[in-house]
Amino acid sequence: MNVLKDKKAWFIFIAPALLFYLGTVFVPIIQSLNYGFQDWNGIKDAEYIGLGNYTRMFQDPYFWNSVQNNLVYVVIVVLMQVFIGLFFALLLSYVKKGAGIFRTLYYLPAVVVTVAIAQMFRNFYSLQPLGLLNMFLDWIGLGYLQTAWLSNPHTALIAVSLPEGWRFTGMYMVIFYAALIAIPKEIEEAATIDGVNGWQLIRHIKLPSIKHVLSLALIMCTTGALRGFDIPYIIGVPGSTTELVTTYMYKKAFATNQFGYGSSIAVFIVIESLIAVLIIRSIFNSRKGEA
Amino acid sequence: MAKKRMMSKIISLLAIFSLVATALAGCGGSSKNDAGKQGNSSDASNGKTITWLSARPSDGAIVQTMRELADRYAKDHPGFKLDIQVTSDRPSYLTKLRTLVASGEAPEFIDMDADPYAQQLADAGMLVDMKQFLDEQGLYDQFYEPALKYQELPDGSLYLLPMEYHLEMTWYNKKIFAENNLAVPKTIEDMITVSKAIRDKGITPIAVDGVDVWPLLRYAAMIPFRATGNEFARNLSQGKSKMSDEVGMQAANFAKEIGQYFQEGFATTDYTTAKNMFLNGEAAMYTMGTWEIPSFTEDNLPENLKGNVDYFYLPTIANAKTPNNEFFGNSGIGLAATADKFDATTKDFLSYVLKNYSDVYVAKQQMSPLKFTIKDETQFSELFLRVKKDMDNYGSEFAKPWDTLLDPDTNSVMSDLVIKLMMGAMTPEEFANQIDDTIAQNATN
Repeated sequence: MNVLKDKKAWFIFIAPALLFYLGTVFVPIIQSLNYGFQDWNGIKDAEYIGLGNYTRMFQDPYFWNSVQNNLVYVVIVVLMQVFIGLFFALLLSYVKKGAGIFRTLYYLPAVVVTVAIAQMFRNFYSLQPLGLLNMFLDWIGLGYLQTAWLSNPHTALIAVSLPEGWRFTGMYMVIFYAALIAIPKEIEEAATIDGVNGWQLIRHIKLPSIKHVLSLALIMCTTGALRGFDIPYIIGVPGSTTELVTTYMYKKAFATNQFGYGSSIAVFIVIESLIAVLIIRSIFNSRKGEA
Repeated sequence: MAKKRMMSKIISLLAIFSLVATALAGCGGSSKNDAGKQGNSSDASNGKTITWLSARPSDGAIVQTMRELADRYAKDHPGFKLDIQVTSDRPSYLTKLRTLVASGEAPEFIDMDADPYAQQLADAGMLVDMKQFLDEQGLYDQFYEPALKYQELPDGSLYLLPMEYHLEMTWYNKKIFAENNLAVPKTIEDMITVSKAIRDKGITPIAVDGVDVWPLLRYAAMIPFRATGNEFARNLSQGKSKMSDEVGMQAANFAKEIGQYFQEGFATTDYTTAKNMFLNGEAAMYTMGTWEIPSFTEDNLPENLKGNVDYFYLPTIANAKTPNNEFFGNSGIGLAATADKFDATTKDFLSYVLKNYSDVYVAKQQMSPLKFTIKDETQFSELFLRVKKDMDNYGSEFAKPWDTLLDPDTNSVMSDLVIKLMMGAMTPEEFANQIDDTIAQNATN
């Protein structure tokens, strides 16, 4: 272990990973930042236009519409992934036999290919031909609720958000479950002897003990949802009802050749995600106790 | 302790930063790397390899024809190879093409529509002037006129070659029409009346593919073509006309009205699903071009539709400017050659392809954009021969689809809005105003 005390050796060990990180992550970010100040359509020479793309962005109603949609998307996805995930994890922590089977089953959607999930949900929501959801509604006597979930402007955004939430609920469940079963048994036993009931045990012992994991999960899934792209891109209705910031960015950069404008939206996503992280961290840090 | 906390903060921030950044990596620098790989592969083999970046169906008649012609050509020219790189999904194809062009790696042949993007490339001197090439080879008159005209750029120049030739019509279910005493619509207004009567019987009047959007845009373009020819669409794309003009408003109102007669949830119905709805007898009408002839020949129709399918072309309006024998049709996505790679071999190969194209292509039951005559009628279906006659009687110009005229930005806004309009989520006035705003912005750019 002495070798690690040598600063040079230390640097040599981390250099490959650091260089890889800089090359694949940092350089593109700097490049995006640079493109964000340019007007470039990929054919003629790029032209620096200062903050032009950014002032345009802040005046673009379609952009703000996509920001709004994205917030709804984040709320739905985070609620599903963190809260339902946590709920299942708590339930699962009481299961003595066969927890492994449930864990695997719930985790399964996370390993399925995105396109397959998207296609599955498109069929699931479909009205003509009749999809599973509408069939089910009819079957339980709620046939009047049948609608084309993905094209109806009132339901489209929610319908597009659910698959993403559904997909990773199991993954977060596994993360929470791992944290929950790592809480030392002695603490729980001591609390039970002191006469703490089930709900109090969860509220005052279990949740505070996995606070670190909760904050990490919340950060991961919030930034993930802010960058959400694939499923809304595949099954979203071409129309502004399900436009997210990322799909809008893609559209501007690649469908309409405004690489500069697209990059400035990308920069917005980075800043937006960083702000979200700071907010979440400050919420968790302001609570009593050592973070 | 404080230092440690600071450190952990920095590390977690870095971790998050990298998470965020992976999303962005795709849009910035990585594109160039991909492009580089593409370019190298074509230079690696011995002899001349020509690459064709194609957006056509991967096993479709055109790709098959090109492959056969390339094989034949290779027999006389040892070492010659045509590398066909197919991306059938149009949005992915366009992304790939634009990225390659942006990084200066476009291969010898590329596919593109005669849209403002193609115009930009042509203006930048990146494409081969096909008018000049065809004249030089004496091939210009060998093409059907509408097929070539369709490929003309907004300024009337020709940089793209047609590889296919199609008319677009509305296929209808004769049985549904007969049972409800309905006649084939003669005017665009009749289409509404007929659709309403069918819907009142509880049948879906029109099956439409909303996912690809272009079939929807065709409906919006119907009235303007009848009223002004391609003038309105051209002027609109150049900011000389407005959507809120009379013709534009008529188009928007019609789009909103006809939208009610599409199948519910049409915005998420894809190409195959829409076609199958019609073929299963679930919808009375389906607008699609002659490339679908194979689906509608008697042999291929499902049992319950045999003898029950017919078609009509674009109905007219009162005081129409365009004759009845002009309507929607297209010669598909065009083939362009990049100027800096158009060497002697490439030129010779293209000339060889065009001179032999019809022989191979028509044998695959396809309408060729290069003039052809049918020698043995027994080889073709009745439907094919009937459509061939329609083609011979066609006027001089196709109705231009709007999506090939508008600039990319307006196009993408138009696609979004036309769906909203047809779903009834916005009024024709809102639609027109938002389109006009977008065009005004892009015209000043």
